[in-house]
Amino acid sequence: MPDSEYVIEMLHITKEFPGIIANDDITLQLKKGEIHALLGENGAGKSTLMSVLFGLYQPEAGEIRKNGEVVKISDPNDATALHIGMVHQHFQLIDVFTVLDNIILGAETAKLGFLQKDEARKKVSELSERYGLHVDLDAKVEDITVGMQQRVEILKMLYRDNEILIFDEPTAVLTPQEIKELMLIMRNLTKESKSILFISHKLQEIMEVSDRVTVLRKGKYVGTLETKNTTKEELSRMMVGRPVHLVVEKGPAHPADDILTVEHLTVPSKLHKNNAVKDVSFSVRAGEIVCIAGIDGNGQTELVYALTGLEKPSAGKLSLCGQNITSATVRARSKNGMSHIPEDRHKHGLILDYTLEQNLVLQRYWEPGFQNKGFIKFDAVRAYAQKLIAEYDVRSGQGPITKARSMSGGNQQKAIVAREIDKDPELLVAVQPTRGLDVGAIEYIHKKLVEQRDAGKGVLLVSLELDEVMNVSDRILVMYEGEIVGEFDPKKVTVEELGLYMAGAKRDRKESETA
Amino acid sequence: MKQKLSAFWAKDGTRSVCASLISILIGMAVGSIIVIIVGLTSKTISSKGAWEGVRLVFAGICSTGRDTVGNLTFGFSPVNLGNTLFRATPLILTGLSVAVAFKTGLFNIGAAGQYLAGTAATLFIALEIPSAVVPAWIIWILAFLGGLLAGAFWGAIPGTLKALLNINEVLTSIMTNWIAANLVTWFFDISNLKNVVEYGKTGYIYKTSFNGVSTPKLGLDKLFPGSQVNAGILIAIVLAVLVYIMMSKTTLGYELKACGANRHAARYAGIRDKRNIVLSMAIAGALSGVAGSLYWLSGNTEFFWSTYQSLPDAGFNGIPVALLAVNNPIAVVFTGIFMSALTVAGQQLKNLTAYNEYITNVITATIVYLSAFYLVIKMWISGRKKRKINKVQTSAVPDSADETQKALLDENARKEGDAQ
Repeated sequence: MPDSEYVIEMLHITKEFPGIIANDDITLQLKKGEIHALLGENGAGKSTLMSVLFGLYQPEAGEIRKNGEVVKISDPNDATALHIGMVHQHFQLIDVFTVLDNIILGAETAKLGFLQKDEARKKVSELSERYGLHVDLDAKVEDITVGMQQRVEILKMLYRDNEILIFDEPTAVLTPQEIKELMLIMRNLTKESKSILFISHKLQEIMEVSDRVTVLRKGKYVGTLETKNTTKEELSRMMVGRPVHLVVEKGPAHPADDILTVEHLTVPSKLHKNNAVKDVSFSVRAGEIVCIAGIDGNGQTELVYALTGLEKPSAGKLSLCGQNITSATVRARSKNGMSHIPEDRHKHGLILDYTLEQNLVLQRYWEPGFQNKGFIKFDAVRAYAQKLIAEYDVRSGQGPITKARSMSGGNQQKAIVAREIDKDPELLVAVQPTRGLDVGAIEYIHKKLVEQRDAGKGVLLVSLELDEVMNVSDRILVMYEGEIVGEFDPKKVTVEELGLYMAGAKRDRKESETA
Repeated sequence: MKQKLSAFWAKDGTRSVCASLISILIGMAVGSIIVIIVGLTSKTISSKGAWEGVRLVFAGICSTGRDTVGNLTFGFSPVNLGNTLFRATPLILTGLSVAVAFKTGLFNIGAAGQYLAGTAATLFIALEIPSAVVPAWIIWILAFLGGLLAGAFWGAIPGTLKALLNINEVLTSIMTNWIAANLVTWFFDISNLKNVVEYGKTGYIYKTSFNGVSTPKLGLDKLFPGSQVNAGILIAIVLAVLVYIMMSKTTLGYELKACGANRHAARYAGIRDKRNIVLSMAIAGALSGVAGSLYWLSGNTEFFWSTYQSLPDAGFNGIPVALLAVNNPIAVVFTGIFMSALTVAGQQLKNLTAYNEYITNVITATIVYLSAFYLVIKMWISGRKKRKINKVQTSAVPDSADETQKALLDENARKEGDAQ
């Protein structure tokens, strides 16, 4: 049937991997000129489906049609020939090349081996004007903002005359202003009869920008809806398979005694000569969530390293539960009741070559319950891992013996959260615990943080996401250039006000001690 | 039965062993081709001689010499088998040494130096303590422990430099190798342990048996009469089992491997990464030290003390032994014996045919080199297996598609039920 209403159809796609069916009979139909959102949790099969469309994987069953005709896509070149283009979540740009060079890379026009850059420049400028994609063609990619890098990626697709544009989680790296801009660009693109597949797990954006939305869950097709006829709540229920509370539910905090006190802490920087953390003092009490807000790179990482013992402070004093831990080892702090959900789960959080069960006992393999005279009790480790996997719903291909490397990001994070919370700490230091996770997982982790608080533990949350800062915390400390420049009650402060402090435009007079 | 077989085949271990065996066979086949080419192009070797060479490459360990007509004879050769086991002892231990370091993320290229350190300490203790005063078995134990500790110390040096100053252990190991070679030469040069009583043994140290100290045979000499084998091989096997247990069953192994796999995460978990790096190099060094110790304590070999220009082969041969065994301590026992069997086959080739010792070395090197194609072979085996599975699945899809659809419908119905 020619003249199909759909520009791309993926019908009954099934793709299996050892131990897991990533796509189980999934159908996705993209209309010409629409923005079609593909919604699902981590591990729901979105990326696999797109990889099938892009020719990176061959499905075991199902077929792909373009304009009604069956096509075979056996590698990315086939996809390009069909005018399918993709903006990857991690940009595929060469840092030291200029914007223009990056755009034409791989599709250069040349005469006798000489690049015809003027022609290319003309075409790119035209495109960028037509779609409102403002870029500086002669700037090097390493010097431009993330938002502009993304526009470069979009121009790359347009330069190759692609008609079907896939955006893989395009907003994950953008600021709120940049997200607004991107949405405008997407609408402009559809006006010019481009069709867009928009992969996301952020409901707000999907509601704002998409025409239709297809929901996947655990590798299965759940349904396709008109965006205007649905709600965030319905979508999240379809995605997670149960009702989700989009706002963190929590009662008032009942802070008690200090769990952690930080006095005049100074930490040298590894990047430059100045101190990364300058004379910082604050405390975390039992039964409250204190959040450190700030733009990335303002000393939060170093502060956490000093708190958790990964780096030595050059001055100051730390106490945990009344004990001086300024120069205590990591293990001693851990035994004293500190748990740490690290910022970088691949660098610190997990040993990727170890199995899930080995990773789950990483903080307590030395406890008598898991070893006897130095011999690991494998049965106890397995039983404990199975308990945590069930309790915290950690999904993986082969259960306890899955290699951590092969797990999805969300489930890796769940494993870390399970390990750190199940240790029953007095103080939980959580650094960007929901980075890169979907609504279901975010809700879950926020719930766990509040549970810890309500159980009378102290929680120190370091976050870059203002939504999270405002929703979860009981007290906000804003960090700017290594100093704490303000302390707020989330109920009494606005996001705009916080933004001013985070950008360094405003600051409270320095207090010697914060209560 | 069929299911059991396929389950056995699906095991990673089975595939590893198969891949190792196939790569060894390929190595020997290519080695044979070299034997044939050399044989056919050389004036001194007839085509019959070339064919004899091939037979010796594959079955040199069973060679029993020539019969009265001059044909090669094969059969049970206790001398060759016993000597294979004797020579395997240091190879297994240096192989273990390299494997332990590899498992903890370190490349111990310093096995040769650690071997020399162990050698020097062992010989000194075994020869300097008079057996008239102290019982020989006590001297043996002291000499063994001395070799172990000296090796551990020599291994700990690059370990410490790596842990504290983050200097690459490969660089420092190469340097400690040559420092050991010169130190040992100097040490024996000024010692009174040089053999001056036997004719033709200048440049050698006394055998430990001069002091009545030698590793017991434990009946192995009855099993392999005429060979040099002794209980050292049993000690090596026991140590391999102990290393296996340490690496895979204990918290120490868990920590050591964690440091190797991700030093940052290990620190995050409160594991003392610096101590562990020193420790794994010390353990690796101790194993190489024991390699030297057991080789010379046999009592029937003598040490050429002027080593400042050359490093012992046993040190470097530990690297292919470990690689071929994919760093599995138990597998190291077998690959160590295999390497030593190759050497014995090479000797037969040299003794029984016109091939000289240099071409023999080239052939053994080729076999070892090609044996390292293990990973390629393993990928090939797994790939073939996967393709087979894929085929089965595609043919099965039409039948199961209906079922999945049904299951999905069921689920949808259930969901609607939930919603209401």
